[in-house]
Amino acid sequence: MKILIVEDNRELLNDIKQYLEKSGNICEIASDFKTADEKIGIFPYDILIIDLNLPDGNGLDIIREVKKENIDTGIIIISARNALDDKIKGLDLGADDYMTKPFFLPELNSRINALYRRKAYDGKIEIIFNEIKLLPEKHEVQINEQSIALTKKEYAILLYFISNKYRLVTKEAIAEHIWGDHVEVLDSFDFIYPHLANLRRKITSVGGKNYIKSIYSVGYKFTDEE
Amino acid sequence: MKLLSKTIKYQLVFFALFSFVAIAILYFSIQYMVYDDVDKKLAYESERINFHILNTEEIPPSNYIIRVSPVSDTFPLLKNFTDTLIYEVYDDELIPYRDLDFTTPISRQKRYQITLRNILLDSDDLIVGLFFTISIIFILMIAGLFFVNQIISKRLWLAFFDTLAKIRRYKLEDRKAINLEASGIDEFNTLNEVIFAFTHQIEKDYIHLKEFNENVTHEMQTPLAVISNKMEQLMESPNLTEREINLVKAAYRECNKLSKMEKALSFMSKIENLEFRQMTRVNIRNIIENILDSFDEILNFKEIELKTTFHTEFYRELDPILVNVLFTNLVKNAVQHNKQGGFINIILDEQKFEIENSGEILHTNPEELFERFQKADKKSQSMGLGLAIAQKISRLYGFQLSYQYHEGKHKFSILF
Repeated sequence: MKILIVEDNRELLNDIKQYLEKSGNICEIASDFKTADEKIGIFPYDILIIDLNLPDGNGLDIIREVKKENIDTGIIIISARNALDDKIKGLDLGADDYMTKPFFLPELNSRINALYRRKAYDGKIEIIFNEIKLLPEKHEVQINEQSIALTKKEYAILLYFISNKYRLVTKEAIAEHIWGDHVEVLDSFDFIYPHLANLRRKITSVGGKNYIKSIYSVGYKFTDEE
Repeated sequence: MKLLSKTIKYQLVFFALFSFVAIAILYFSIQYMVYDDVDKKLAYESERINFHILNTEEIPPSNYIIRVSPVSDTFPLLKNFTDTLIYEVYDDELIPYRDLDFTTPISRQKRYQITLRNILLDSDDLIVGLFFTISIIFILMIAGLFFVNQIISKRLWLAFFDTLAKIRRYKLEDRKAINLEASGIDEFNTLNEVIFAFTHQIEKDYIHLKEFNENVTHEMQTPLAVISNKMEQLMESPNLTEREINLVKAAYRECNKLSKMEKALSFMSKIENLEFRQMTRVNIRNIIENILDSFDEILNFKEIELKTTFHTEFYRELDPILVNVLFTNLVKNAVQHNKQGGFINIILDEQKFEIENSGEILHTNPEELFERFQKADKKSQSMGLGLAIAQKISRLYGFQLSYQYHEGKHKFSILF
């Protein structure tokens, strides 16, 4: 899919761009309001990632513009300001999601994927990774066409892994994805382990392969590469 | 003591002292006037007697004469006033009299010394009389003052009490400037001006400080995001040595901890800023059950036995996010500080929520438990903000959150 990233911090902009490109997306960047506004007027994008604090304007105005011009695109706000007002305003204007900095790139990626599936396929798309098939609209998982029963969290973790396949996903990122960021989740690393163990067991018990590889004990990578 | 009572107290002391002085002054001045009066009366009488003697050579009858004694014509001319005390049987006391001794002009080759006498005021009676009079005046004055003061103070101090009530209601967090009305009294107007300037300054400082804190929090998020991303990229590179990966891991962990901390602190300041105002009718029991569901797996993992006693189902008008955070933090705390194979007991009724868990004895002061950055276990990865947040939310809604330790059981209770 084609993504425009609007963010004034060059480093963060490049990090996001690189991460999303590695996941097979085409990314364009804009580091100020003017460039973003111009690009939106000319090219169609599937997803816009918009930082609210731009040196020459407010990201909310980009959303207003998009809605005024009736451009069909998914919008994710990324903001350092964790103010409810901004969040509500952004979502009211028609943004699809709101993320507070700092966020984990796998989290952004999985939200982009979820948003894209919702917008482009109405959620009715199968996500396939080798013998694993996810049916997001039914929250169902099949291994070699055989359904397995996963808990909500196991399903969420699997989907998260597949969205970020071949990439390192740290325990912190998984914890935040599952438990959100309202609570202190640092001690929740222990909480992740039983979910992963169960997930592995359920997949392998019906003949699936164990794709979850532990990386340096900092996190995991969902991969079929050796 | 009230200002009014205090004023009256001092006035009373002053009037009491003043009364004694007044009695003394009045005593002497009345005595002087009485003497003057009696002396004049006796002098006029002596003049009248002398005049009569010169004209008629007879001593006229007079009520004042008490003694007439002939003297030789060589006797010197007299006009002497003297005081004398005479015992009166009727009153059984000594009564003061004023005597005037004078010599008459020569008549029929005779000269007389005549003594005239008139009663003086009894000084005892005078003092007693004065004392009573002054006392009555004194009492009337005090009573009058009291009533007048009462009326005056009610009217005059109205502005003051108005100011006082407004200060009492004033809360910095409300961000509402204090609105003090001008009265006709300069002192109170000055007071109001000072209070206004004072609170205005405090508000400004408070907002600046808050904004500074919030800005620091915001501004740090983007760099933190960059650092965290770079670390992840580094961790993805193959062939890192054990030493290298440990260094990166530690840096990554601390970086994330910092960003969590910033988020938790900014969450707290959002609670303070009253940004959570989506009051909804929430079913407390449902909320707790949902939270417990999400902890189900970890409870199994830690082999913790959970016992819940829900007496009733009830609703409260609260912000759903805050209620969730409040109970999640308490449940999380009970799970985190529990031991393998321990227990958690939860009781909920309309008055209170209680959560009890097994665990090691607390090494920190229980009173500091709800302070920011207080950790029961120094080695713990936890930031020690969970309970501080729970406390903040409880205070916001007027709940009483407390902690007790009893025979290996840690108990947190919320009184709704």
